[in-house]
Amino acid sequence: MAGNCRIGAGSGYWGDMIDPAVELIEHGDVRYVCFDLLAELTVALLTRAKMRDPGKGHIPDVETIIRQALPSARRNEVGLVTNGGGANPAAAALAAARVACDAGLSDTRIGVIDGDDLTDRVAEIRATGWKFTHLESGEEDIDRIADRVVAVSAYTGSDAVIEALDGDAHVVIGGRLADSALYCGPLMRHFGWSFDGDDWERIGAALTVGHVLECAGIASGGMSSQWRLSKDPWRLGFPFAEVSEDGSAVVSKVAGTGGVINQWTIKEHLLYEVHDPFNYLLPDGVVDMSAVEVTELGADTVRLTGMSGRARPDTLKVQIGYEDGYIAEGRTMFPWPDALEKADFCEQLVRERIGYLGVTPTELRFDRVGWDALAGPIAPKPAAGLQPNEVELRMVAKCRTRAEGEIARRAMLLPATAGPVGTAFGAPLPLRKVVALWPTLVPRDLVPQRVLVDTAKEIVDAHGA
Amino acid sequence: MPTVHELAFVRSGDKGDISNVVVLARDAEAFDTLERGLRPAAISAFLGELVTGPVVVHTLPKLHAFNVVLRGALGGGATTTLRFDETGKSMCAILSRMQVTSDHR
Repeated sequence: MAGNCRIGAGSGYWGDMIDPAVELIEHGDVRYVCFDLLAELTVALLTRAKMRDPGKGHIPDVETIIRQALPSARRNEVGLVTNGGGANPAAAALAAARVACDAGLSDTRIGVIDGDDLTDRVAEIRATGWKFTHLESGEEDIDRIADRVVAVSAYTGSDAVIEALDGDAHVVIGGRLADSALYCGPLMRHFGWSFDGDDWERIGAALTVGHVLECAGIASGGMSSQWRLSKDPWRLGFPFAEVSEDGSAVVSKVAGTGGVINQWTIKEHLLYEVHDPFNYLLPDGVVDMSAVEVTELGADTVRLTGMSGRARPDTLKVQIGYEDGYIAEGRTMFPWPDALEKADFCEQLVRERIGYLGVTPTELRFDRVGWDALAGPIAPKPAAGLQPNEVELRMVAKCRTRAEGEIARRAMLLPATAGPVGTAFGAPLPLRKVVALWPTLVPRDLVPQRVLVDTAKEIVDAHGA
Repeated sequence: MPTVHELAFVRSGDKGDISNVVVLARDAEAFDTLERGLRPAAISAFLGELVTGPVVVHTLPKLHAFNVVLRGALGGGATTTLRFDETGKSMCAILSRMQVTSDHR
């Protein structure tokens, strides 16, 4: 019978702090620390980077993690698992291997997982008769966007993580590994749970624990209703979970670190970005939170019980990133007096200028920042004659082409020179290329994973040869 | 009539053009009030043009929690929306100003 497994959160996003992960490795008594580095759009952006340079397409944080965390992880026998390979796990592994060798840890075993990138396989998969139906709109297939596709990636599960850890990897680097799989894989391996048996309730528990941890500091005081209780947020402690063989878990953080963990921070995160909590579909299982209970055991210590789940779906979620025009944005600020009236004057100026030059944006939006930028159409109207100290006008247009976007962008600079006296302007914002997302599914058996485990030295040598 | 803010802690997140607002009742009494009043029709009416799709509320009695799922909520989703709040992190605060009444059906 396996003892408890303590697993920690190393990061929740690309650019997250690294010192909390090092703190967990050195003082958290953890077996694994997991680094989620991908958001919904990230892989599409990384795919574009890889198209420009075949050596790119991974998250550069991987090198920082290896440099700062690997030495203590090796000393403390802590496994590191990440999806920072992004669109190019092999490039991430090479970069990680070089840093490991520089640190004198050339015997570090690095597991690389490939297979989630379906960008070059769309035609082949459609030829089997499969349709990439849009999960939200229901649109039946991707014909409308097929010539604008940038990247296609499948959210993959724990099988390959387990295989890499079985190969004695110290570091596991995948591409679009689902956030939850970064945690579920190590837990399944520790407890010997299998997709072939009757472990679905325990796998559901591991996925729930993974879900609670995967955004790191966002479960330990960040982004929280408990912000007033969050001590020293500049040195936020990241959460870890001590998971028992029955699937229950205790979530805490290293004593003395910043932030706060209480029932509310954990409940906030349990349901964060979940839709149906009784049928939360993930690559490794279907999570059912109907019986979950959250109990405070003491300061910054919360017990989770009652997690469950059912067999994993036969399909994997896929994100298709496709080019969808350009966004022009401008911002300008008006001082007292008559700031709101000046904003109205300049909204008309910009609208008319864009039309005068023959451009019809597909969408056009004007916000009074500080008044209605967030609540938009349902923000109450300002009282007549209201004289705020200042108002910012935010102008945004979506256009089909770069040329139209550029015309709109320049029109948004005009309030400074063709508008009222006192109008303040900052550095102009660049035109942005839009990559939109098309969420869909693919049959699981069409997405085989490949796992390679080699030492850092072997990886570096192979590349040099 | 109490507001959601007075009855609950809230937080919102995004997936595509879907926003979900986690509503955590502050106590059992607040949970009962919210269970009667936090209805999809009332939420739809309150959010008006800000949310264009249907509203679903999942209730978790053991957690005294609700998960409010709003479709068509983010102006097309984080990567394409023209809103400043691309991921709808403020959706929870917007919803928390809603008054909760048991009259809504």
